[in-house]
Amino acid sequence: MKLFKAKKIWMPLIAASLVLSLTACGGNSTQSGAEAPDTDEPVTITFSFDQGIGQPAQTLIDEYNASQEKYIVESKILPQDANVVHDDFVNKLASGDTSVDVMALDVVYVAEFASAGWLTDLTQYFDQATQDLYLPGTIETATYNEKLVAFPWFTNASALFYRKDVLEQLGVEPPTTYQGWMDLQSQVQGVNDVQYTSVFQAALSEALVCNWVEYVANNGGEILDANGNPVVNTENNIEATQIMLDLVKNYAPEGVTTYNEPESEQVFLDGKALFIRDWSGFWSQANKEGSKVKDKVGVTSLPVGPKGTESHSTLGGLNLVINNAIDDAHKEAAIDFIKYLSSESVQKKMNLIAAQPPVLKSVYQDAEVLEANPFYADFYDIIMNGKARPMSPQYARVSDSIQRNIHAALAENIDIKTALDTIQSDIEALNK
Amino acid sequence: MKSLQRRETRDAWLMMLPALVVLLVIAVYPILRTFWLSLHEMVLTDPGSGYPFVGLKNYTDIFRDARAGASILFTFKFTIATVVLELIVGFAAALIMNKTFKGRGLVRAAILIPWAIPTTVSALMWKFIYNDQYGLFNDVLYRLGLIDGYKAWLATEGGTFMALVIADVWKTAPFMALLILAGLQMIPGDLYESAKIDGANSFQAFVKITLPMVRSTVLVALLFRTIDAFRVFDLVSVMTGGANGSESVSLYAYAHLMKFLNFGYGSAVSVLIFLFVFGISLIYMKSIGKDLAS
Repeated sequence: MKLFKAKKIWMPLIAASLVLSLTACGGNSTQSGAEAPDTDEPVTITFSFDQGIGQPAQTLIDEYNASQEKYIVESKILPQDANVVHDDFVNKLASGDTSVDVMALDVVYVAEFASAGWLTDLTQYFDQATQDLYLPGTIETATYNEKLVAFPWFTNASALFYRKDVLEQLGVEPPTTYQGWMDLQSQVQGVNDVQYTSVFQAALSEALVCNWVEYVANNGGEILDANGNPVVNTENNIEATQIMLDLVKNYAPEGVTTYNEPESEQVFLDGKALFIRDWSGFWSQANKEGSKVKDKVGVTSLPVGPKGTESHSTLGGLNLVINNAIDDAHKEAAIDFIKYLSSESVQKKMNLIAAQPPVLKSVYQDAEVLEANPFYADFYDIIMNGKARPMSPQYARVSDSIQRNIHAALAENIDIKTALDTIQSDIEALNK
Repeated sequence: MKSLQRRETRDAWLMMLPALVVLLVIAVYPILRTFWLSLHEMVLTDPGSGYPFVGLKNYTDIFRDARAGASILFTFKFTIATVVLELIVGFAAALIMNKTFKGRGLVRAAILIPWAIPTTVSALMWKFIYNDQYGLFNDVLYRLGLIDGYKAWLATEGGTFMALVIADVWKTAPFMALLILAGLQMIPGDLYESAKIDGANSFQAFVKITLPMVRSTVLVALLFRTIDAFRVFDLVSVMTGGANGSESVSLYAYAHLMKFLNFGYGSAVSVLIFLFVFGISLIYMKSIGKDLAS
C-alpha cells in the first residue's frame, strides 16, 4: 500500500520533468539556416567553442559584430571538456544539423571529421602564400588528404621547464639529451629541496599520448609513415619507450603513471622536481605571485634520445572548422569570420587577452607580445619544430590503443615490445 | 458489479496511459533502437559503408574480444565486492541509527552527505586522497604506522581495485543504510517486547525478528545497488579512466559509442549490459515477489 502511494506522488513529477527535458531538447533545434539570405539583412552564424576560452572568444566576437554589418556571429558555449565538445559536435554533424556554423575543434579530431565529410574544404579561400605565413605544424594539423579542411586558430606546444636556480648552483647548462638530465640525478637530490629529477604526464589519458609521441619523435622515430601506414614497433621506438619507462621508474615520483597536468604541475610548483614537461601556458602559472618557484624557472626544448637529431614538441590547440551542411550564404559568412580570427591584429589580441600561442608567425616578433611572454624568444623555435599527433581519421582508436598499451608498459604490466607490437597491429587493423 | 469492475479497469489504464506513453518514448524505444543498431555495422566516421545489416556479428565479436571479457569480469568483481561491503556497512549504520540517542537526527543527516555529493566530484576528491605526494590516505596510514612511505595507490592493479571499492562503498553505503533504516522502523516494537518476555536474547531477536522483517527492504536495496554497481561509469572514468585493468563494461561501451563512434558494436555491448541488468533484476524481483506472497 505504501509503495503504491509513493508511486502516485512520483509518477506525475517524473512525467512532468521528462516532458520538460524533452521540450528543452526541442529548443536546441532552432536553426540559423532558416533565415532567408536577404541582401540587406545581416546573415547570422553560430560559433561554438568551449568554456575554456569563453571570455576571450566572446570579446573577439563582440568586436567582430561591431566592426561590420554584413554578418552577425552568435556564440554557443560548451563545457570545458574535450570529450564533451567532441561528442556535441559529432551529434550535430552526424545528423546534418545546421544550428552551428563554425566550430573550434581540437586539432586531433580534424582528420576524423574531414573523413566523414562534415567539414567545408577551405583550400580555395587560403592560398599557399597565405598558408606560409602561419606555423607549418599548425597548417599540417588543418590539412587532410592534401586539402585544407580547417584553419588554425591558436596552438599550443610543450616545452621543458627547469629549475634555473638549481642548475646555476651546480654550475651546469641545461642538458639537451635525456641521458644528460638523468646524469644530474645524483647531484640535484636535496639541492633547494629538489627530490625528483623529472615530472611529466603518464596517466591513462590523451596527455600520455602527447608525451609518448615526443619520446618517439625525439629519438628519430615515427608512428605513421608518409602514407599513413603504422611504423610503431621499430628499434627507435622501443628505445624511446625504454627511456620513458626508465624516467618513470627511476627519475620521477612513484605516482607519475597517475598524473595528468594538474598533479604533475603541483609537484613542480612545490619545488620538488628539477624539470617538468608541460604546455607553454605553464610559464605564467609557475611565475605567478605565491608560486614557490617564481623567477626560478627556465625554459628549453625537450631533450633528444640517442638516435634523435632534432627536438620536437607535440602540438595542441584549436582549429576553426565550418559545418559542411550549411548553405552558401552561411559558409561565406563563416569564411569571413575565420579570416578575421586568423588576421594579425586578432591573433595578437587573442594572445594578449588569453595567453594562447598564436599561429601567425609574425606575431612572435611583436614587441608587445614579447613583453607579455618573455619566454617566446626561446619558445618560437620550439613551436616551429612542433609536430602534429598522428593524423588518422580513426584518431580516437589510435589514441586509445597508444594510451592503453603504453600505460600498461609503463606500469610494467606488459613489456615494451608487446605493447608496441599491439599498437602496430591495432593500427594495421584500422587501416584495412 | 461486472461493469463496475470493467470500468475501473478501464479507468486504471486511462490513468496509467501518460506514464506508459512516457515509458514507451524514453525507455522502450531507445532499447529497441539500440538493439536494432546493434545488428548493423555502423561507424559514424565511415558513412560510405552505408551501415549494412550484419545480423548477430557484433555479438559474436564480443565473445572473441578479450578486452570486452576483461571489462565484464572486472565489473562483476567490482559489483560483488562493493555490494557485499555496502550491505555490511549499511546494515551496521542502520542498526546504530535505529537506536534512540541524543543527536540522532544530526547523525542521520550527516550520513547522507557522501550520497548527496555528485559522483564526479567525490571521484575527484578520492583521486586526490590517494595521491602519492599529498594524499590524505597516505598521511593517515603513515601516521598509524601501517606503511613506511607514501604509496601511489592508483598506480598498481591491486591498489586501483581497492581504491575504487573504498570510494564506492563510502559513497553508496549511506543509501543502503537509509533504506534498511526505513525497513527497521517498520518493525513494531511489541514484537521485541514479547520476544523479551518469552526469554529471547538480543541475538535471537535479531535473527528471528529483525532479519526476516527487513528481508524485503534489504532485497530492494540490494537490487538498486547491484544494478547501479554493475553500470559503474563516472567513478572509474574520473579516478582511473580504466587504467590498470579497471575498465568497467559501461566505460568500454562508452569508448565504442562516443569515442570511436562505432555505434553498431557499442550498441551490442550496451544491449549486453541491459541483458545483464535485466537478469539481475529478475533474480531479485523473484525473491522479493516470493517474500511478498508468503
